[in-house]
Order: sequence, then C-alpha cells, then structure tokens
Amino acid sequence: MPEQSEVFTLISQRYVISLLIVAAAVPAWFTGGPLFVAGLLLIAWAAFLSTRHLVRQILRTNEQKCSLDQQLIQSQKLAAIGELSSGIAHEINNPLAIIGQEVEWVRHILKEEKVEDPQQMSELKESLFEIARQVDRCREITHKLLDFARKQEPLIQSVDVNRLVEDMARLVEREAISKNIKIVRSYNKDLPFVLTDSPLLRQVVLNLLNNATYAVGKDGEVTIETQMGENGCVNVLVADTGCGIPKEDLNKIFDPFFTTKPPGKGTGLGLSICHGIISRLGGRISVVSEVGKGSAFTIHLPGGERKGEA
Amino acid sequence: MDTFKVLIVDDEPDFLETIVKRLKRRKIDVTGVESGIRALELLEQEHFDVVILDVRMPGMDGIETLKEMKKKRPLMEVIILTGHASVESGMQGMQFGAFDYVMKPAEFDELIEKVRQAFERKSIHEAKIKETKIKETRIVT
Repeated sequence: MPEQSEVFTLISQRYVISLLIVAAAVPAWFTGGPLFVAGLLLIAWAAFLSTRHLVRQILRTNEQKCSLDQQLIQSQKLAAIGELSSGIAHEINNPLAIIGQEVEWVRHILKEEKVEDPQQMSELKESLFEIARQVDRCREITHKLLDFARKQEPLIQSVDVNRLVEDMARLVEREAISKNIKIVRSYNKDLPFVLTDSPLLRQVVLNLLNNATYAVGKDGEVTIETQMGENGCVNVLVADTGCGIPKEDLNKIFDPFFTTKPPGKGTGLGLSICHGIISRLGGRISVVSEVGKGSAFTIHLPGGERKGEA
Repeated sequence: MDTFKVLIVDDEPDFLETIVKRLKRRKIDVTGVESGIRALELLEQEHFDVVILDVRMPGMDGIETLKEMKKKRPLMEVIILTGHASVESGMQGMQFGAFDYVMKPAEFDELIEKVRQAFERKSIHEAKIKETKIKETRIVT
C-alpha cells in the first residue's frame, strides 16, 4: 500500500498542474491566438500525463519492493512456523485419533438400550478414562511448548565474566595458534561479578572470537579485554588485526543474513544473533573498524555487582 | 546444599570410571554411561539435573545427543566436554542450548563448580516456571 502522504501529493499535484494550465492559457489567448493556446494546452496535457504516469510508476515500484520485503520475511517466518507446527500437529494428532475412536465407541454403546448393563457401564467408564488420559497427553505437549518458549528468556545468575571469557579464549586458542594468530589477554582483575545469562553470553563471546580469527586469517593478533565501563557497566572487548569492515558495511553487519563470506561459508546470522542476545541481556554491542587495520567489538553489559556479594 | 543427579556420557571407559569414582567421593549422585543412545534410553526411566557429555563419540555424537536430550528434557542442563578443541562444535553446542563447553583435561574442582552452576540455573528456571504457572492459575480462577 502506498503511504497516505504519497497519495495526497499525487492528488495535489494534479490540482497544481491544472491550475498552471489555466494560468498559462489565459494570457496566451491574448498574445498568441487560439492555435498557440491549443499547442500550449497539448504540451501541458502531455506533461501532466507523463508526470502522472511517472508518479504512478514510482508508487507501484515502491509498493512492489515493500511487498517483496514483506514476502521474504513472511516466507522465513512461515518456514520456521511450518517446521514447528508439523511437529506439533503430529504429536497432537495421535491422542486426537484415540479420543475420536473412543467417542465413536461411547456413542455406539449409548445407542443400544441396555445401558444399565454392568458390562456396558464398565466399557463406558473405560472409554471416558482413556479420553481423559489422552487429554492429559495433549496438555503435556502444550506445556512443553510453553516451557520451550520460556527458555528463550534469559536466566540470571551471578557470573564471573573473566572466567567465562578465558574459557572461550582457550577454546579458540588451539585453532588460532595453528594459523599463527596470537591471543592477547588483558583482564581487569577487579571486575565485579555480573548478573546475566552465562550460556547466552558465552555464545556471543565465542562468536566474536571466531569472527576475529576469521578476519585475521593467519599471522596476526586477537586481543580480548575486560574493563569497567560507564555507569557500572562491564565491557568485553574483542579486537583483531584483520581485514576490517568497509564504512558502507558497518551499519549492515548486525542485519540478519548480511554476510561477506562466500556462499555456504556463513549464514549471515552470527552477529545478528549476538546483537539480539546482548539486547535481551539489557546491554549493547558496539564496533569500531578500519579497513586493513582491523575491527574491535565491545559488549557493554549492565548490572555489575561487587565481588563477594554473589 | 541441595542434592542433584548427574549423568556422565563418555565412550572412554577409563575416563568414565575415574570421573564417576571421583564425583562419588564428593558425595555427588552420579551415573555413567558409554554412549549417547544409552544416555537417551536412561533418560526415559530416570531423571537427571545435569549431564556431562563428551562431544566425540562413535555412533551418535555429542551434538546429536544434546539435541535429542534438549527435546526430551528441556530444563536439564548439559555441559559439553571435549578432548579436541573445535570452535565449530563449540558454537554448535552453545547454539543448541549447552550450558558450557569444557576442554579435557578439565580441572576437577572447576568441573564441579560448573556442574553446581548448571544445577543452580536449572533450579532458577524451575522456580520461574512454577511462579508463572501460579500466576496463570490465579488469572484463570
């Protein structure tokens, strides 16, 4: 859909053009005679038509672009939902089939006259029991799904950031050394513990370290630093002496699916996931980079607590 | 301190035996199994709080086992143990919800500390779910 303001400009443009035509035609009638006026009107009319055509074209392309973007997002969402829902459908269909069957059986018994018959009674009870059991099964499935959804929420624990960062540095180090990349550490020993979600933070630090070694390729340095930031923030810096990021790409690197890696080498989701995680943790992530010199990413985490309070 | 149950999955019998013995000496309720499949079978019958999982195993590897475990028991925390540091598998492990990724040979006290933290996380998680369930029933009633 075109923006309302755009439609408005389109309409007002028409008014302006018709006014201009009239304004031009009246004096032209006196100076140049009818033929001249007719020519002028023709030109004005042609101009009006072509402008209108152009404006419409622009609106249409704009609309198409918007709808394409929407479609792309929609199709990604649908793919994720499709996968999830086929799983859920499968899980819930089985108990539903059993419930359906039992209902049929109960109906069948009720159609017969001797419902008081103890044999029939016990069959009815059995069916009801089975239905209740299957309902429980469905409930369990939906609860599991809810648990899964909740799992996305951060779980806050007191975390020793220096320790966490060092664990991830060690993990990356062996592969780095084989490419002659030196891991340089500089940890602030007085860093307070931070109230945050440790597995999520690990994921981000590991991702940044992995990107840093990838950017260096071979023969270089990756620096990892922990510092006290402003307003009690704790900062984790991951810097490399790698290829750097061009200015025009800097504001795109956190976009989902943005990648400079060759096809099949990266999903373009790494940094966007990192960005999402750090915002969920209430922090932010910043980057400084220069082509040919390297990049430095800083994670700013809120909520440091004094050591010993943990 | 609360008691918790630990499951260790590792295909090297010597390592498995030793670590189970050492954890038992620290009064930790621990069970050891030698494969991912065995671990998943055991999870059908028993409940565990924290799993220590070797990443490199024949048959079903650690990452596959982790995925299946998280499907079955989303709240159970899994610490991945690796003899061979691989950044790739580390990133996969964290992405599929591992609590931590520890390199062998792990310092024993450090490992116990990580198990304790993983259990703390599970307890926080359970408390949070209980809280929301109470809230939900309050809204219903």
